[in-house]
Amino acid sequence: MTPETAAPCANVDSSALVGEAKFAVKGLDFFYGDFHALTGITIDVREDSVTAFIGPSGCGKSTFLRCLNRMNDLIPGTRIEGTITLDGEDIYGPGVDPVDLRRRVGMIFQQPNPFPMSIYDNVAFGPRLHGVTKKGELDAIVEEALVRANLWKEVKDIMPRGGLTLSGGQQQRLCIARVLAVQPDVLLMDEPCSAIDPTSVQKVEDLMGELKESVTIIIVTHNMQQAARVSDETAFFLQEKQGEAAELIEFGRTAELFTSPRDRRTEDYITGRFG
Amino acid sequence: MRENYRRELKATKAEVVDIGRLIIDVTRDAVVSLVEGDLEVAQRVIDGDDEVDRRCLALEERTLETIATQFPVARDLRLLHSLAHVSMHMERMGDLAVNIAKATRRTAYRRGPQTLYDLIRAQGNLVHRVLEAMLEAFEQNDLDLAYKLKELDEPIDHLFKQFFRELARLTDEDDIEWASSMVLASRYLERIADHAVDIGERLVYMVTGEFEAMTEHEDLSEQQCDDQGSPGA
Repeated sequence: MTPETAAPCANVDSSALVGEAKFAVKGLDFFYGDFHALTGITIDVREDSVTAFIGPSGCGKSTFLRCLNRMNDLIPGTRIEGTITLDGEDIYGPGVDPVDLRRRVGMIFQQPNPFPMSIYDNVAFGPRLHGVTKKGELDAIVEEALVRANLWKEVKDIMPRGGLTLSGGQQQRLCIARVLAVQPDVLLMDEPCSAIDPTSVQKVEDLMGELKESVTIIIVTHNMQQAARVSDETAFFLQEKQGEAAELIEFGRTAELFTSPRDRRTEDYITGRFG
Repeated sequence: MRENYRRELKATKAEVVDIGRLIIDVTRDAVVSLVEGDLEVAQRVIDGDDEVDRRCLALEERTLETIATQFPVARDLRLLHSLAHVSMHMERMGDLAVNIAKATRRTAYRRGPQTLYDLIRAQGNLVHRVLEAMLEAFEQNDLDLAYKLKELDEPIDHLFKQFFRELARLTDEDDIEWASSMVLASRYLERIADHAVDIGERLVYMVTGEFEAMTEHEDLSEQQCDDQGSPGA
């Protein structure tokens, strides 16, 4: 099925989307109880690319990210209006299993959060949950996921060791391997580099460049240089006034947005005039 | 936010404007030296070029340092990139003024036909007008004025062509070497104005983020120069 293209609004550059839209979001509004957090979000996220969400704190970028794998369902009193389709299928439609959705749309958090178990078991956790029991099969999945996460060489001889014994940067890549082990289509990364050292940041950024060949990546970052370095497209979110719903202000090719943004608010934010 | 950085951007731009003023002065002096055969003024222009070169180089280093340390984006990035570009143009304009001053050295030993001096003086006045307009547009981010630069440049090209026609009238008794130096000076003036038009284009990009060529590169080809200079022209 071909996903419909998002209706172009003033500063959403649909021409940036040269490939298929993985996610197509139309007229999305999000509420935490009475609080209207996001309004009128319409955006297509291109398949096998890196899309960055930027904006000041409280602009709703992480909220929006969590809408994409229904993580917000876990918070009581939240609701959405509008539609989000993944490969053309409404992810909030009846019959969609949020657990299966979260396998297809994996998530990496700011703080690396390995389970208190061995490196091997961390990566094997997901496949086991999805019914893989044969040792040989699991071994192959674990190795492949660790290779893809650029961690295999560092841990292949210490697999029984606890995941929490690794350095912060290694732990983050272990978490990425854990997500990759269940073959996701999309990787949502919520500030994945803010709690790790610069060398590890470099490794995670390089990894994103490699993974985007086969996985669609969406990253929320406060670090604008990082957004500029790693992403193909960038979306800028802003809550203009305290208490008002945040909006998508501009979306387009990263190189263009960081040299000639269309919207004055984008320009003011990325040049450090506010935020 | 980022007050020091903002101050640095303003100061860097102010320095380019200052260099621009210097260029206006040396260009005017160079023309004066040529039409009045004033070797002293010519020497002052030649000696002053080191200062222009030094400031342009310092400015380039300054913009590079800001880019490297402050990660400018959007209009700040366009500004810094454009300032480096503009200073490069100004450095070349300074060199062209020096070339005119050197032409003074080669021609001051005699007085030639008054028409040619008048033409150079007229051309110099028009170039001065373009440079003033360029600098004002640049200082004020005035796009309307930037768009006018091309128009202001046109009569300068016409005068350069007229210069060739006047040369064709010279007789065998006239000093060809002297005449060549004068025609080159006219050419240098025409090139200075072209640089000003290029700076106007750069200003449009700096302000809007859009590249718009104002010139179809009006620079006269060697063939055109030859045609203008040939006796039949």
